[in-house]
Amino acid sequence: MDFTFTEDQLLFQDSVRDFLVNEITPERIRASWESESGRDSALWSQLAELGLTGMTVPEAYGGLGMSELDFVLLAQECGYVALPEPLVHSALVAVPLLVDIGGELADQWLPKVATGEAKVVAGLEQNLLVEDAHVADLLLLQQGDSLVAATADAVSLIHNESVDPSRKLFAVSVAGAAAVVANGDQAQSLIQSSLDRGALGAAAQALGLAQRMIDLSVQYTSDRKQFGQAIGAFQAVKHHMANVAVCLEYAKAPVHRAAYSIACKESVASHAVSQAKLNACEAANLAAKNCIQVHGAMGYTWEVDLHIYMKKAWAMANSWGDAGFHKTRVANHIFTDGAALGAGATFA
Amino acid sequence: MKLSFSAQDEQFRTEVAGWLNANLTGEFEKLKFRGGPGDEHTYPEERKAWEKKLAEGGWTCVGWPAEHGGRACSIEQQVIFFEEYARAGAPGRVGHIGEGLTGPTLIAFGSEAQKEKYLPGIVSGEELWCQGYSEPGAGSDLANVKTKARFDEDRGQWILNGQKVWTSLAHEADYCFVIARTDPDSVAHKGLGFFLIKMDQPGVEIRPIEQITGTSEFNEVFFDEAECDAQDIVGAPGDGWKVAMGLLGFERGVSTLGQQMQFQNELDEVVALAKTNGAARDPIIRQRIARAHAELKIMRYNSMRMLSGQSGSDGSLQKEALIYKLFWATWHRGLGELAMDVMGPECEILDDGPYELNRLQSMYLFVRSDTIYGGTNQIQRNIIAERGLGMPKEPRVTAK
Repeated sequence: MDFTFTEDQLLFQDSVRDFLVNEITPERIRASWESESGRDSALWSQLAELGLTGMTVPEAYGGLGMSELDFVLLAQECGYVALPEPLVHSALVAVPLLVDIGGELADQWLPKVATGEAKVVAGLEQNLLVEDAHVADLLLLQQGDSLVAATADAVSLIHNESVDPSRKLFAVSVAGAAAVVANGDQAQSLIQSSLDRGALGAAAQALGLAQRMIDLSVQYTSDRKQFGQAIGAFQAVKHHMANVAVCLEYAKAPVHRAAYSIACKESVASHAVSQAKLNACEAANLAAKNCIQVHGAMGYTWEVDLHIYMKKAWAMANSWGDAGFHKTRVANHIFTDGAALGAGATFA
Repeated sequence: MKLSFSAQDEQFRTEVAGWLNANLTGEFEKLKFRGGPGDEHTYPEERKAWEKKLAEGGWTCVGWPAEHGGRACSIEQQVIFFEEYARAGAPGRVGHIGEGLTGPTLIAFGSEAQKEKYLPGIVSGEELWCQGYSEPGAGSDLANVKTKARFDEDRGQWILNGQKVWTSLAHEADYCFVIARTDPDSVAHKGLGFFLIKMDQPGVEIRPIEQITGTSEFNEVFFDEAECDAQDIVGAPGDGWKVAMGLLGFERGVSTLGQQMQFQNELDEVVALAKTNGAARDPIIRQRIARAHAELKIMRYNSMRMLSGQSGSDGSLQKEALIYKLFWATWHRGLGELAMDVMGPECEILDDGPYELNRLQSMYLFVRSDTIYGGTNQIQRNIIAERGLGMPKEPRVTAK
């Protein structure tokens, strides 16, 4: 039993964090809100050069062949900067789905994903809308009991505005030729694992978002003075932040556990993911609420950066299964007759 | 990262389970699932005998180094030991303060003479300990300890005068570790000493405090010219705070694993009751149970994450450990509330007179103390914000 990450995993996290914090500044995010697509192809090329688009692509296709466990710390960092590009979606959902589908489709697309030439997104009915469909070259779409693959020229898109200006959401309908890639049980299983991976990605990003909101608020409450002292010295203020810190710290272990569970293809992976998603999003939601409160009226302004992260956190909480969905999955697991619970079922 | 147990560890599990199965029988049968938090007053004599039984099997102090009489179990094995101990329904340990707090503290900070004198009695399950920290004027403000210790050159003894309060199991204990002021002119963290006091002596008086459960687990302890051998101060006079805080690190380390398994037993009882009485059909109750389950799992994972990240030999843990008390206390309080909601209208009806609470009722009342003792939730939040997040310190008012 070992709950630690390797030196390599931590070093990679550090270097990715350095890159992202330098590049994905709040100013750059605000600029992306003004651009037509909201996406930056030059940035995507940079991410590809760092090997990030190919992280989870198998080595045979020119990727690094890393697992969900290797990627989870990077997803946290993507959350920390509220990266608008669909990197987490690509690495944790679209790529593993393509790998599982296999065959010609994988042969054709995975090498291009690794090099950053192509983007692939997945659209599940659980999500209502498909994120980043406008920049996708290939879309893998749930259609009832089937899974179909359609290239960009075969779909028509209707843009839906998100409360988070960084999110680009689309209703997608297949207008041209689409290939059915899976049916029935096989499709269900692929949809299920994609949903789990998407939820893991959302949970990991939520951890990063919560940390960012804490950092902004500790800074703000240390600088802002009232009654002759920094407001952070007041217990009424610092207790708000302590509650967030506790919630966040306790959400980390289940997220890492879920990543491990998916990477090892454990049968309890879905259950582990639900726990992770619930706790991480709860931490991010609490961060959003408490951080806006300790910012006072400033937190309510468009000018202060806090809302960049708050809005993304809200979006994460309701994507890839909302709290009700995941709570129900956990409850059903516990109330199943003969469920492995209690002492001795630590990792069950 | 590797979230599973090795074959060797599973073999160890079989060994633990086998021993408990063979020994938690006969006179000990009635101890099953007894003696946990809120139930510590039950069967004291039988539970003391159980301590010795455990010791005979080599199952006390399993995580201690072998040179001090422990079993030198790895973290994994300790996790497994506590799991199987709970699964068997083995009783709450009356020796937990000595094993979890005194022992590790002496191993880290004690003299060779102290280790020789005290560790064997803890390992053998024959000598029980209690903790003398809080005082009437030193609760949240623990450093405001007023109990005084002066060294009497003629008798070669430290002489203690003062009062401790909320001292759990003082009435069963053979020894108490006490923080007291060695420098009468000192204030706050400075000028304190950490003493090992024999309870059975004329200068020590114990008065039980009746709790809202109608039972008494904790006590007032009065020192009136109580004696303490010159060699029974841990560290130098003035080092008391450092030792006392080191001890709290142990409290948040490995000893959490056993506590969580007691929680697990309580939660299992709540789930079983919800299934029997139909409360589990209520979607809100289902979700609350699911949440309690998930959060307990998280506590376990977090403890393991913390422990596999490794703590220092002086008991110091990483910053993450600061959050443990606040989380478990709040969780446990919530479990008490959940248990009553699952019981429904029957929750107010006692099993028997006089004031015979069942386990869940007793738990519900007991958990109100969890968010208070060992540092209130409010104090924990101050610590987390100031030491964990680095927020500005609250200005201190200097006592006049």
